[in-house]
Amino acid sequence: MELRPDLTLPVIEYEGLSAEESADLRKAGIVLAPLEQIKGWARSNSLWPLSFGLACCAIEMMATGASHYDLDRFGIIFRASPRQSDVMIVAGTVTKKMGPLLKRLYDQMAEPKWVVAMGSCATAGGPYVRSYSVVKGVDQIVPVDVYIPGCPPSPPALIYGLNKLQEKIRIEAAGKKVPV
Amino acid sequence: MFGIFKGLGVTFGQMTKKKVTLQYPDVRINMPERYRGIHQFIPELCIVCNQCARICPTDCISLSGTRNEDKKLRIDTYDINFEICILCDLCVEVCPTEAILMTPRFELASYTRDELYKDMEWLYGNHLGEFGSHEQAMAAQAAREAEHAAAAAANGVEPGGDS
Repeated sequence: MELRPDLTLPVIEYEGLSAEESADLRKAGIVLAPLEQIKGWARSNSLWPLSFGLACCAIEMMATGASHYDLDRFGIIFRASPRQSDVMIVAGTVTKKMGPLLKRLYDQMAEPKWVVAMGSCATAGGPYVRSYSVVKGVDQIVPVDVYIPGCPPSPPALIYGLNKLQEKIRIEAAGKKVPV
Repeated sequence: MFGIFKGLGVTFGQMTKKKVTLQYPDVRINMPERYRGIHQFIPELCIVCNQCARICPTDCISLSGTRNEDKKLRIDTYDINFEICILCDLCVEVCPTEAILMTPRFELASYTRDELYKDMEWLYGNHLGEFGSHEQAMAAQAAREAEHAAAAAANGVEPGGDS
């Protein structure tokens, strides 16, 4: 099986060097890159999410972690403590009662940290968009990096969203903004 | 005492079995035929009856149309707000002309919420795919179905028959 090109060492075309010289450096296993980019590459391939399931989306999140979809392939390993995690997958409906607790868990996570809003409820309230007790989008409480629509999103849709987050981490480490 | 060996026996027994993990980002997943993915919309078929917008449990569909010279209604705008769409398939079920359909596509994650508000052009493009027009897309689908029926006939299975 071929390795995914984005999981092997970063392919960098160096400024001031020809394409052959860059290829030679890669073949020799030498990486000349800003430290930030190497850190971004390392961080994006060891995302440890906080297991934060709130509703039916959590079932899909668990299924994604299980053997058929296997999040461990991307270095995504669920942690039970916010102190050990890098990314918070908000999987499910956030009620107004849960809001302050979500904020506290986010504050307890160590920097750098990211948030993924999984499903319609976490994105905008979803089917509870007319409810009196549901937060209309988790971005009213914490900053969100990736929104995954669906009710609930299927495991491949969650994997797609997490791959987008990895892409974002790498792009931002290179000092660029993500294309919107 | 021997419980651990019994348990490890189960674990080692799995090692000889076929691996079940789907290599999703590298290998495309073929979703089941009735999978409820994101919509496709065919403006040529729409008669602006508003039934999809009325049955939608989250009111995520908004549409507008005008009358032609021949008194027929023509769709002007058709937007689906995927922030709150729950992909329940009700709009597809009520549509009398099958102008709105579910696709097996699921890749819609985005960095902003605004991107999830999809208009008619995007939904039509979701239907067209690599084809230039609705007729070409339908012809390709008919060809695919004919091929499928031929393959089923070659295998000695009646197309559409259970027994």
